[in-house]
Amino acid sequence: MAPWKDLFLALPLPEIWLRILLFVTFGLHLLFVLLMLGTAMLGFTYFLKDCCSGNRVEMGWSQRMVKSHLGLKSLAVVLGVGPLLIIQVIYSLGFFTATGLQAFTWLSVIPLLILAFLAIELFEHKMLSRPWLPFISGVIGLGALLTVPAIFTGALSLMERPGEWPGFAAKAMAPGSIYLPHWLFRYLHVLGAAIVFGAAFHLFFTAGQDTEKRARLRAWLFGGVLFQVAVGVPLLFTVANVFNWTVLAAVTLGSAAAMAMAWALRPAPVMTLTDGSIRGGRALLLLLPVVFVSMLAARQSLQDATLMTLHKQARTALAQESADLGRFQKPALDAFRLKLATVYDNGATIYAKSCQPCHGVGGLGDGPAATRLLVRAEDIAAVRADRDYVRQIVLAGWPGSGMPYFTVFDKDKIDSLLDQLNTTFTMFGPTTVPKRAVGQQARDLWKNTCATCHGATGQPSAFGLTLRPAPPDLSRFSLEPERSLQIITEGYPGTVMQPYRALPEATRRDLVAIAANLRR
Amino acid sequence: MTFPLIHVPVLGDGMTIALNAVLHVLISHGVAIGMTILIVIFQNLGATGRGSFWEETARTLLKPVVIVTTSVGAVTGVGIWFITGILAPEGIGSLIHLFFWPWFIEWWAFTTEVVLLLIYYFLWDRLAQRRPRLLMALGWGYVAVALSSAVLISGILGFMLTPDGWPSGGTFTQAYFNPTFVPQFMLRISAGIALGALLILGWTGWRFKGTANERGRVLRLTGLVMLAAMASTAVFAWIYFSRIPETYLTHWKFAVATSVWSQVPNLLPVLNGVAVACLALAALAGLLRQRRTAMLLFVPALILAVGMVAEFERVREFVRGPYLLPGYMYANQTRMVRQEAALQQVRPLLATLDWVNTTTDKAPAAQAGRALFDANCGVCHSIGGINDITVRLQGRTLESVNALTSITESMVPFMPPFNGTEEERLTMSTYLYSMANKNTLPRPQLQGEVK
Repeated sequence: MAPWKDLFLALPLPEIWLRILLFVTFGLHLLFVLLMLGTAMLGFTYFLKDCCSGNRVEMGWSQRMVKSHLGLKSLAVVLGVGPLLIIQVIYSLGFFTATGLQAFTWLSVIPLLILAFLAIELFEHKMLSRPWLPFISGVIGLGALLTVPAIFTGALSLMERPGEWPGFAAKAMAPGSIYLPHWLFRYLHVLGAAIVFGAAFHLFFTAGQDTEKRARLRAWLFGGVLFQVAVGVPLLFTVANVFNWTVLAAVTLGSAAAMAMAWALRPAPVMTLTDGSIRGGRALLLLLPVVFVSMLAARQSLQDATLMTLHKQARTALAQESADLGRFQKPALDAFRLKLATVYDNGATIYAKSCQPCHGVGGLGDGPAATRLLVRAEDIAAVRADRDYVRQIVLAGWPGSGMPYFTVFDKDKIDSLLDQLNTTFTMFGPTTVPKRAVGQQARDLWKNTCATCHGATGQPSAFGLTLRPAPPDLSRFSLEPERSLQIITEGYPGTVMQPYRALPEATRRDLVAIAANLRR
Repeated sequence: MTFPLIHVPVLGDGMTIALNAVLHVLISHGVAIGMTILIVIFQNLGATGRGSFWEETARTLLKPVVIVTTSVGAVTGVGIWFITGILAPEGIGSLIHLFFWPWFIEWWAFTTEVVLLLIYYFLWDRLAQRRPRLLMALGWGYVAVALSSAVLISGILGFMLTPDGWPSGGTFTQAYFNPTFVPQFMLRISAGIALGALLILGWTGWRFKGTANERGRVLRLTGLVMLAAMASTAVFAWIYFSRIPETYLTHWKFAVATSVWSQVPNLLPVLNGVAVACLALAALAGLLRQRRTAMLLFVPALILAVGMVAEFERVREFVRGPYLLPGYMYANQTRMVRQEAALQQVRPLLATLDWVNTTTDKAPAAQAGRALFDANCGVCHSIGGINDITVRLQGRTLESVNALTSITESMVPFMPPFNGTEEERLTMSTYLYSMANKNTLPRPQLQGEVK
């Protein structure tokens, strides 16, 4: 494989082989889906009939029929993985767009299937006990099970109609559009096919030699085939715009085979062949695969008609973008290597990566990102504070300022960061208290003005705590005298701390000393 | 190629995947591998004349195993695909293109596995008496295929974490046979056997119908298997984690304990220790045929085992941040080359978003802001749900939100950088600021309040 550019351009096989592979794997999946759906529908119908007539012997047969559901559904699920894989490779654009636009409906497939499978197991297990439990679980199971093909046909129908995508994105499913009738008929077509294949399966595998059961299943088969024709005709009209010769040939062949099948199954007096073989059985075994394969071919051909064109365009655009981005590959890889080499388990790295953008290399609050901030990043080189108080600030951030919370680091990392702060900036060192006699004017000023916010003891007042950002707790946090003086003189831009440069310098220095003395 | 961006409201993307994935892992490892291996061993013991109760036990256990694996296990397995296809189409789409063949081969292994399990189950009654050897062969055939299925998928899961040489060389073999390939599948298989043995241990304690001696023998064997599997799990877990790049691994405590609890340093080591001790004691109780002790320990051991599975998957998923595919794509599905291009040139993001959801917000600027948030942050953060961005940004000013979004990659090690122009970043920041401060009234702030 060539080195990576854009992984969406990496095709495991030429497209034509992928399409053939999709045809085969989708066919396998669909076959078991139809058998599973048919079994569940017929099993529940027979249960209702037997239950109403109180026929417990017959019910044993219904139970045998539903027992096969476990194997059929398991294969239906597991065989679905193959086509899903191939569809995601060759129809990436259509598949991810269509399922994305119907995201929550699409996701509901998971709980619906689990519910359906478990409920049908319960239905089968309890069929011969009290009637209400199998009835309820049967209704829930079958209801959930029948919703799933509606979701799948909905997603596939949307995938094949790029024109409908914008409408879906705007949540405006126009009722007049061709999408809804197409979806409806397509869904009904799947249900009809499930009846046909389910009835045929049980005719051959579970009915045994019982002529009455055979007659009942033949009647379902006959009705199913007629229903398919009735639903198939309007369904064809909904895809008339992308019709091509391949589709026409496949549909004609399939319809002819279906007609021949209906003829072979036509209602006649119940007659038994003495050798135990099934009347019309050989015709069924020959014609059913023809119908199945031709309908599948028509479906795939319709899908490819739109999607392959779309997909080629998308790949061309992608190849262009990829060529354009090629020159950025080296810097991208360099950035990745750098990231891989950076281990965030030590204070130095955490400071460099998480704090430095704002606080700067020297801690002066002059990092490159700090230029964007209205409340300037603190000059942490001048901070002398209690370790636990700083931890609190690092963990909670400082509301009203740009300081974010850092609970993204566990306690050990925070500890190593705090150690680093102390090593680099002696952050937890003692407060430098200026040695000077503080005058009365400064004491009064503190009491009457500063204490409004900072509190008399340095613990922010109730009013101070309403501020964003709130003032620091000066009983646990101090700054070096020069930085204190700078804030008192110039204010703290972006906060309510205003400049007091009009005060005499001696008073300002007194205030610095008062603030420093507040730290416990 | 830009696909619709969908994020699950309230639950968030990560939790949606986790709920489905953990359920799948519990069943695929614990039931489909673990319990079935023991069932096959039991059947072998019965078939080789060690007592018919072995076979009866195996037969009783097989039915729920088949139902649970084919109904819940298989559907949640496909479900991981469905969910990632919706939430991270660029990511899963890239993986599927790169790993098409292992996935395709795995599909056949998976199909064979299911077919063999069904044959084993449906033919049991017919073969158990008449051809027990054939039934044994079928059972071991199933186990072999189930194990190979686990091996096949491990190459893909491991690549997402240890991109040893892959981004530079860009070859399939570098991606697939990454350093965690072997330890990961060995770890998964061993842990699966331990979990399966625990489930059978509990069942034997509570529900076994047979003589006390028979029950004791089942307990002893199950306990022995569980102890051995636990020892093997420990060894391979150690090798596995030692091969993950340290830069990712240091986030494991935060990944599991989240913001608040990651500040209690010994919480996780102690919890894990308690869990391992509880499991080991349960296994020991089985080995020593202590039925009542095993019964008592079963429920807490099971809860703790589920917790440990969830923990492992959470760590595995989380610690590769900020990458979805290391060296190739960021967690928000932005390819690294595109990010580099955006850094060096003006490359607007909005113009490339084809499917902007217009239903949530009416104002054009809000729509744009929301679309940019969805594309850049929505994979981890929600608005109003788990990891709510509005709570995270409450109290920050607009210009500080804008400053923070400019340094995401540097500020938090597992956050990807913003993809888009400076103007778009301001649009997004404005949107987030307004969302975060929608209902804020000035109120007294309490000291030490942790947001």
